[in-house]
Amino acid sequence: MTRGILGLVLRACVVLTGVALATFALLWNAPGDPALAIALARYDTVVPADVIDRVRVEAGLDGGFWAAFKGWVGPLMAGDLGRSSVTGRAVWPELAAAGSYTVPLAVAGLGIGLAISVPLAVIATRAPGGWTDRFAVALASLGAAVPAYWLGLLLILLFAVHLGWLPAMGARTRAHVILPALTLGLGVAASLTRIIRSGILEARGQQFLPALRRRGVSDRAIGRDHVVPHAAIPVVTVFGLELAFLLEGTVMVEVIFGRPGLGSFLVAAIAARDFPKVQAVVLLTALVFVVVNLLVDVVYRLIDPRIGERDA
Amino acid sequence: MRSVIALFGAFVLVAVFGPLVAPHDPSAINVPNRLSSPGAEWFLGTDALGRDILSRLLHGARWSLGLAFLVSVIGLLIGTLAGLAAALGGRLADWLVMRTTDTFLAFPDLVAAVVIAGLLGAGTGSLVLALSVTGWMRYARVARGIGLSLATRGYVLQAKLAGMSPLAIARWHYLPSLLPSLTVVWTGMFARAILGISALGFLGFGVQPPLPEWGTMLLDARIHMLSTPLQMIWPGLAVVVCVLVINLAGDALRDALAERDDPA
Amino acid sequence: MLRVESVSVRRGRTMTLEDVSLSLEPGRTLAVVGESGAGKSTLIAAVLGFLRPWRGEISWAGAPVRDCAPSLVMQEPRAAFNPTLTLRRSVMEPVAARRPPPLDRMERLCRGLELTHDLLDRRPLEVSIGQAQRLGLLRALIAAPPLVLFDEPLSALDAFTQKRTARLIADLQAEEGFAALIVTHDLGYACAYADDIAVLRSGRIEELTRPKDFIASPRTAYGRKLRDAAVALGAFERAA
Repeated sequence: MTRGILGLVLRACVVLTGVALATFALLWNAPGDPALAIALARYDTVVPADVIDRVRVEAGLDGGFWAAFKGWVGPLMAGDLGRSSVTGRAVWPELAAAGSYTVPLAVAGLGIGLAISVPLAVIATRAPGGWTDRFAVALASLGAAVPAYWLGLLLILLFAVHLGWLPAMGARTRAHVILPALTLGLGVAASLTRIIRSGILEARGQQFLPALRRRGVSDRAIGRDHVVPHAAIPVVTVFGLELAFLLEGTVMVEVIFGRPGLGSFLVAAIAARDFPKVQAVVLLTALVFVVVNLLVDVVYRLIDPRIGERDA
Repeated sequence: MRSVIALFGAFVLVAVFGPLVAPHDPSAINVPNRLSSPGAEWFLGTDALGRDILSRLLHGARWSLGLAFLVSVIGLLIGTLAGLAAALGGRLADWLVMRTTDTFLAFPDLVAAVVIAGLLGAGTGSLVLALSVTGWMRYARVARGIGLSLATRGYVLQAKLAGMSPLAIARWHYLPSLLPSLTVVWTGMFARAILGISALGFLGFGVQPPLPEWGTMLLDARIHMLSTPLQMIWPGLAVVVCVLVINLAGDALRDALAERDDPA
Repeated sequence: MLRVESVSVRRGRTMTLEDVSLSLEPGRTLAVVGESGAGKSTLIAAVLGFLRPWRGEISWAGAPVRDCAPSLVMQEPRAAFNPTLTLRRSVMEPVAARRPPPLDRMERLCRGLELTHDLLDRRPLEVSIGQAQRLGLLRALIAAPPLVLFDEPLSALDAFTQKRTARLIADLQAEEGFAALIVTHDLGYACAYADDIAVLRSGRIEELTRPKDFIASPRTAYGRKLRDAAVALGAFERAA
């Protein structure tokens, strides 16, 4: 068991190294001269060649790929994400500020998703194949097909424009988080409903349940002690996948609602070709993803120790 | 399988013949008629430049569906090759391919695609590249899993004993078993590609105006969403309908396969 | 000839074969007898080159065994055939590269194995187990291999078909002159058809003798136990 978990951690480390390398290589190989782009972004006019060269040295772009990679990874290990190549300010505080908008949005989105999907799945599975079940499945299928940006615009139209109940753009008040979170949450609910539903059905189909029932264990106790833990396994697995959905969902939602956050931060950084910022966001999302999935794998093994080296 | 073929045929019909039945030139600018409501002449109304929205949607199918098809097929090819290489190439190849797959999976699709497309410069080429690079991993996992289970089958051992080339073994003994499952994955990835293309278009990193891609149209329409909200409805609805139909066909195929494999 | 020289195969920390030595001349039959788990399948995999021995050498006429294009008849007759292809395709696989295909030979083998052409155009799930086993023999012999391995060739068959198939294998061998390595737990079958028998237990060869001598007086306690169990089951009367 301990050995298995150690293996998982080691694997996550390998993947993180790959992530760092891929992130850096991607930006390194982006077309155009990054030094020129930075200089243009900084001075906003025609820049003489010696200024470009100075920028190149400053940004550590003059020593080739591996030198630049080392120059980037070294401080990174100490938690230093470097400085914006455009403004010269440290990336970390700005990133943290953006994150302080994104995290509540993601949490609220997930909360809404759970609040919708769990009751819906439970009601649906009372009578599998019945009309409530079919309705829930249809709703989930529809939800999975609706793009977040379109749903966001529709919600703005309905709640902000026609009804005038909620604010739409920006993040000035607490109420501003409602529509973005709803957009995100509906998408989360669509995929979670399907997963929880099939998890419950699968747990019910387990061989031991009729035996428990014959022994006189009440339906309620069976549900609590046997069905719920079994349904929890797929839910735990999917949590890691759902996270990717949340991360990319927030990018879209923040852009639609003109909300500050990691998504807007990323899009603005790409537009300005501010490589350190882009690297920081990409690396952060990948890091969160890898760490959460590592935790999921560990929890998974704790729930069901039979899961082993199956997919090494 | 039949449902997927029918679906595919329907999309080919729309993408090929859609533009032919379009009532107007999708890029004909008609400023006096801008932002008109749906009516007899402009069936779904016109956009800010007076272009016919229905015609643009029909022409846009070529971009939205055609590019999504291209992207999902490129992913299918890369992923299947990677997965088979992992399954058949020995432990080192397996380790390398699977850790690469994990690494690519660690970047949320859309975030990675936005970064790639954004850095390469907005355009159709970088859009296809961005979505292909982020869209092969699921195929690889499925192909590897099936490949590993096939490697110990009797008929594969027999084929090796008979001295068949690895390529011939892959063609005759692996492909028939891989195809159904990969088709199920493909339907899902096709739907994702449609969503991804329109999302990048909407963010301004995808197909560029004046080409009538659905996400790009939505971006145009967004500015006028207060005065003519209907204009914004249509491209989104087109995406929803396509994705929904593909997903339902994929579900049907998966259920049919599950029933075939486990008729209990 | 086939030479297996002090071969050991290791899986993880356990030895699945330990210091196994065997030899087999063309035209002869060697039966390796043992209970399940004794290492019989490992031996086949090692001889065919699917497993690399940890120690020792395996060769045919001084070269790797695979160079002589050996063939294998499997325990599960249908498993040898891809369910999506016609049996004709699978059967012709070993001679797929030959131009022209050896149709005369195929005709002759089909007649000997009582296989009709109509059967060849079906798929694996559309023939009986006995038919599938005879098709497996056809496939194994089509390329005229000098060495044929049999992995429990009778165990999936009913008693009647067992007897018929065992006869068929013996007749074909008399005609074709291939060396046969039969791996089986069926002592009766082994003693009735093999020239030599080797008793395999926990990865080791316990004894290697003529069937007549083995039935008369096994040299080890384990061999005696095997023989007595087989006698009690009536194996020797049944096979003879």
